[in-house]
Amino acid sequence: MVRLDINEMSTRDVNQKLRELILQDDEIVVENPHSVHNFATALKGKGTITVEGSTGFYTGGFLQGPTAIIKGNTGWYTGDNMGDGELIVGMNTGSNCAPSMGGGTILVKGHSGSRAGWGMKGGNLIICGNAGLWSGKMTMGGRIIILGTVGRGIGESMYRGIIHVLDPEVEDKLGGNVMVVPIEDKEKREVETLFKKYGIEQAVDGFRSIVPKVYGRHEYFLFKPTHQQTGAQS
Amino acid sequence: MTEKERKPRAKDVQRGIWNQEAIAEVKYKADMGKHRIRGCGSTKKYPTFDDLLILPSQLSRLSIDTYREDCKTQTVLGARYAKKPLVVETPILISGMSYGALSKEAKTALAKSTQTVGTSINNGEGGLLPGESENSYKQVVQITPSRMGFSLRNIEAADALELVTGIGAKPGLAGHLMGNKITKEIAEFRQLPEGIDLHSHPRHGDIFGADDMVLKVEELRDVTDYEIPIFVKIAAGRVREDVKIAVKTGVDGIVIDGAEAGTGAAPVVASTHLGIPILPGLVQGARALEEMGVKEEVSLIVSGGIKDGADVAKALALGADAVAIGTGAMVAMGCVVCLRCHEGKCAYGIGTQDSELRKRLDTDAAAQRVANYIQGMTYEAVILAKAAGKTALANMEREDLRSLTLEACAMTGTPLAGTNFAFTEPFGFF
Ligand SMILES: Cc1cc2nc3c(=O)[nH]c(=O)nc-3n(C[C@H](O)[C@H](O)[C@H](O)COP(=O)(O)O)c2cc1C
Repeated sequence: MVRLDINEMSTRDVNQKLRELILQDDEIVVENPHSVHNFATALKGKGTITVEGSTGFYTGGFLQGPTAIIKGNTGWYTGDNMGDGELIVGMNTGSNCAPSMGGGTILVKGHSGSRAGWGMKGGNLIICGNAGLWSGKMTMGGRIIILGTVGRGIGESMYRGIIHVLDPEVEDKLGGNVMVVPIEDKEKREVETLFKKYGIEQAVDGFRSIVPKVYGRHEYFLFKPTHQQTGAQS
Repeated sequence: MTEKERKPRAKDVQRGIWNQEAIAEVKYKADMGKHRIRGCGSTKKYPTFDDLLILPSQLSRLSIDTYREDCKTQTVLGARYAKKPLVVETPILISGMSYGALSKEAKTALAKSTQTVGTSINNGEGGLLPGESENSYKQVVQITPSRMGFSLRNIEAADALELVTGIGAKPGLAGHLMGNKITKEIAEFRQLPEGIDLHSHPRHGDIFGADDMVLKVEELRDVTDYEIPIFVKIAAGRVREDVKIAVKTGVDGIVIDGAEAGTGAAPVVASTHLGIPILPGLVQGARALEEMGVKEEVSLIVSGGIKDGADVAKALALGADAVAIGTGAMVAMGCVVCLRCHEGKCAYGIGTQDSELRKRLDTDAAAQRVANYIQGMTYEAVILAKAAGKTALANMEREDLRSLTLEACAMTGTPLAGTNFAFTEPFGFF
């Protein structure tokens, strides 16, 4: 194990140092992160980086293999464009968590802001707490699991992918072009495996899934007369 | 003349507002209850580079021998912070056109053409086709809001990155790819369901505002180790403000796409009514860079309706470092600008995913034609630059131009031919 105090380091130096260290040691502990932005950008390889504190925007962007454990909070755009590896946030994340994520797993032990999993394309995003508005907007793949309550517009215009939710009121908060369906046995087992791996104590029976309503066309309303809520164009 | 002959028939009357196009548009909406989507962008008449003239060298300065002396065309873009700027042999780049809007054969042909003339191709939205990156001389990779087919691998294959904020044909909107082009192959490539109409998102999920973009660019620097240039592509609108923000985000270059720019599919209303043409867009962009004192540092690339070498020479004179072409390159391959790119039934195998139609495009012949076209355009630009007394295309300057029309004069600040007077100069150009 190696300890790295980044109190006085520039982001660029931090990332360069992490790149060097991860080749030498499989356990790095980072001290004094002070919510640094762009932490662990495009880090490749294997190994674990544990951050004793919080990091800022774009934490673990383009992450490509290692496990990053942030004990505190992370800012907006956590795990943006992440390709592989694990990002575990001990507390909460800002908005737009896991945008365009392509692979790997992001686990948020607390809550996440709005638009989690925006345009996600693969991998797993697990939010143990609540999620804000528009989770899973326009996803093209991957799996989002939300244990807490969800905000309005969930799954808006998903093209592909799946969102598993417990929120009993999810029907009232659905975005356009998606529907709620029962969780399948195979999916349950997969979720269970993930929960087991990350020590999440939650039964999977109560989950339901949000999936795209794919009829070849999405429906949009560019004009919605309030007295007559029909007339969608496709 | 009989009474009947004297009476003009409705179809012979010159129409103002209720011309055939307007009537057809009303009927379309009445039938469909929605706006029309069309390929190729706006059909509006815009002020063009043809409204500007280049002053030849005579006694006041000497011209350079057209056929026997050199005029440098090699262009270096993005040297602001990038360790390896984009070096191209001609300032004519191929703009980002997606695999999806274009066939694999068309993309491959465009890529091959860049090898011949030494320029760059840009992958456009929706992934990087192996046939493109393997054949390209220089590869620009777009980062679009949808991030379809985008990964670290694409970045590693790139000679430059282009962060797309907007495109001239539908600024404020994003990629449209109609279901008839989302075949099994494209669906897999873009991770989409087959046959769905794709309406991408105009905002980047990881850039909600200019301050965040500063961090994003920093992140991309880290990803690319400051090696390759990062450009941002904007549609011409509030050019001065947008350029200033772009400069502050730390990019190496700015691509400004004018309202006349082509597209594979866009709502007609967006192409026709959003954004300003490239002529004023370019002038404002160049002046904004000058105002910030970074004109020499930040590369300016313009696109939208660039069709010949005269456009190139004039764009450079107005302050561009390079131009990018889309429609022109398609035309060189055989496109007739039928405005039906969105239907995916291109008879020339260019804007289609239909396996039978695609066979009609001979990739090698098309590559040669695009290379010829770019070479011919470069020749034209060189002829004009030499006549203006330049030994490098980049030496074209505003002072070499005069306006032919009041409109061009007013919009560009280029004095009207025969005068030294640009009548909007006192108002400024922002
Ligand atoms: C068929 C086609 C597909 C296009 N696809 C993209 C794209 O994926 N991303 C993008 O930024 N611009 C796209 N554009 C716009 C071009 O990059 C460029 O801005 C435009 O073609 C320039 O105008 P011009 O066609 O008049 O030369 C596309 C244009 C065409 C004609």
